[in-house]
Amino acid sequence: MATTLSTPPQVPKRASEEDVVRAAKRKDRITTWGWRLAGYAFFLGIWELASGRLMDEKLLPGPSTVFRTFGELWATGEVPGAFATTLGRIAIGFSIAFIVGVGVGILMQNRFLNGFFRDAVTIGVTTPGLIWALLTAIIFGNRPAGPIIAIVLTTFAIITVNVSEGIKSLPKDLIDMAKSFDVGVVRRNREIVLPHLAPFIFTGVRFGFSIAWKVTVLTEVFSSSKGIGFEMRTATQLFRLDEFLTWILAFYVLALFLDKVVLETLERRFFAWRGELKS
Amino acid sequence: MSADLRVAERTADTPQPVSVVRRIWRWITRSSLTGRLTFPVVCLIVWLLAIKVVTTIWPFAVDVLPTPGQVFGFMFDEIKGDTVAPHNMYETFAISLQRLGIGMIIALVIGTIIGVAMGLSKAVNAFFNDWVVAILAMPNLAWALFCSLAFGFGDIGPTIVVVLTGVPFVIINVREGVRNTPSDLFDMARSFDVPRERVIWHVLIPSLLPFLFAAARYAFALGWKGLVVAEVFGGQDGAGWTIKFWYDAHRAYGVVGYALLFVIFALIFEKLMFDQLSKRLFKWRPSIDAADVVEARFDAAAPLPASVAAAEAGATATSAAMGSITLATSGPPHQPVDDPSPPPPAQDAPKHPRSNDHG
Repeated sequence: MATTLSTPPQVPKRASEEDVVRAAKRKDRITTWGWRLAGYAFFLGIWELASGRLMDEKLLPGPSTVFRTFGELWATGEVPGAFATTLGRIAIGFSIAFIVGVGVGILMQNRFLNGFFRDAVTIGVTTPGLIWALLTAIIFGNRPAGPIIAIVLTTFAIITVNVSEGIKSLPKDLIDMAKSFDVGVVRRNREIVLPHLAPFIFTGVRFGFSIAWKVTVLTEVFSSSKGIGFEMRTATQLFRLDEFLTWILAFYVLALFLDKVVLETLERRFFAWRGELKS
Repeated sequence: MSADLRVAERTADTPQPVSVVRRIWRWITRSSLTGRLTFPVVCLIVWLLAIKVVTTIWPFAVDVLPTPGQVFGFMFDEIKGDTVAPHNMYETFAISLQRLGIGMIIALVIGTIIGVAMGLSKAVNAFFNDWVVAILAMPNLAWALFCSLAFGFGDIGPTIVVVLTGVPFVIINVREGVRNTPSDLFDMARSFDVPRERVIWHVLIPSLLPFLFAAARYAFALGWKGLVVAEVFGGQDGAGWTIKFWYDAHRAYGVVGYALLFVIFALIFEKLMFDQLSKRLFKWRPSIDAADVVEARFDAAAPLPASVAAAEAGATATSAAMGSITLATSGPPHQPVDDPSPPPPAQDAPKHPRSNDHG
């Protein structure tokens, strides 16, 4: 009889199978985060230790030096100006590239124009940004048009590819149905075509942005008198690796933030209504 | 009924000359081949017009804008092997290719080791993942400038840049490959007592090979771009250095000509070497191509299939590599590290390894 009294705990146990899973999940997450933090500690530690021991501190400034230099640069007040210049260029160039890319993507639905633009897209995707940077530097000197044209040439193809892919997979049956139920052109486009194209355009924008900011910095290295790239060039020419690393890392963090946090949040907000597709 | 149709056809055909013109016009405007042929012609016309227009606005721009004649003359001279630069085209590309080759081999070795470890263990994956993504997203320019300052001019800097641009792609692809190994084959091998070496040799490696191959392809396409930038800043010779040579000499036709040469070079390499190799290597599995496998993976993992389409349109690994960038940065949605899916309620307790906790 006593044994039967000791058994009841089994019942809640079986009922809490879900809890067990949740606990295991939590444990899993904790160990994952632990390993992740260990990774951070390990790599930052190696970097910090290597500077000054494995390599000269002038050649490889450690993370602490980079932080300190960032504070110093921030105090001089150059940082926001340089960032604003570069970001402004990216914004202008990228908007033009977006318009061109979407336009070409729409035009490519025609078979003749498809053949016409196909090689242009291939060239746009394959040519290294360096070539456009050097070319625009030679042709435009340090006029502001140089970096902008370089951004357009390297980025538009990616947006084009995504847009034309989206158009190709438009839900024809939905459009036909809308047509046969006499839905107007404006409404049809707004409620069927645009929602369908939006994710494709978003993908194009994200890919495009990740390329655009790199090309912008590269172009500025060759042909600009302000902006992040210019500051990087100055730092390397003066052999100030700490400043160089600070500039590039600061901008890199900003670009990653824009890509991962801003664009991703926008995307989630935008496509909240189609939650089931995400999973 | 059919007679009516025939009559209608004949009446439509009767104005013969108009129809021919219209048919030609239709053939021109409807076919993608003519569009493809028109593109270079239009480019040439735009090029010449641009020179005309720009030189009338800024007369001093004459020596800055290269004419098609100059560019193709330059390319012809380079192909013949006579050049003003210190090395001719063939030597230059051989030097660069050597660096690229060494860098890629190092990247493949390191990447395979880390990638296999990351695919097998969640802990190792968590340890490395963020840093792989960070290295992947870092611009070539940063590596190039840093290596040129830290390692001086010569072979070491550019080679390290190739390794750094290539490694994350190899790691990500190999990790995907390991996660994709057919576990049923392993189970079968275990239950039939197949020795370990034979399992590795006959199951693991063949299933990993397409992924490794795709990784090599991306590493080549992106490593090439990285190498060129690195040579611009930290080389004493090689393709990037030579284009910088023409840039410094302020010969725009040299820059354009060389640019065309190394786009052609990369395309030839991609098409001839990798396509042939993949045909040779994967002869035994007729339906699956290396690219297909990885593209299918991206298709499944990436939020949208557009990155795959990019590969088709671009026809090179470069654009497909962009698919792997999203894969790396956004993470495959079914990544077991982040959300181990709860077992279905009907599942037997002993099957679930964690049931040991309360067993």
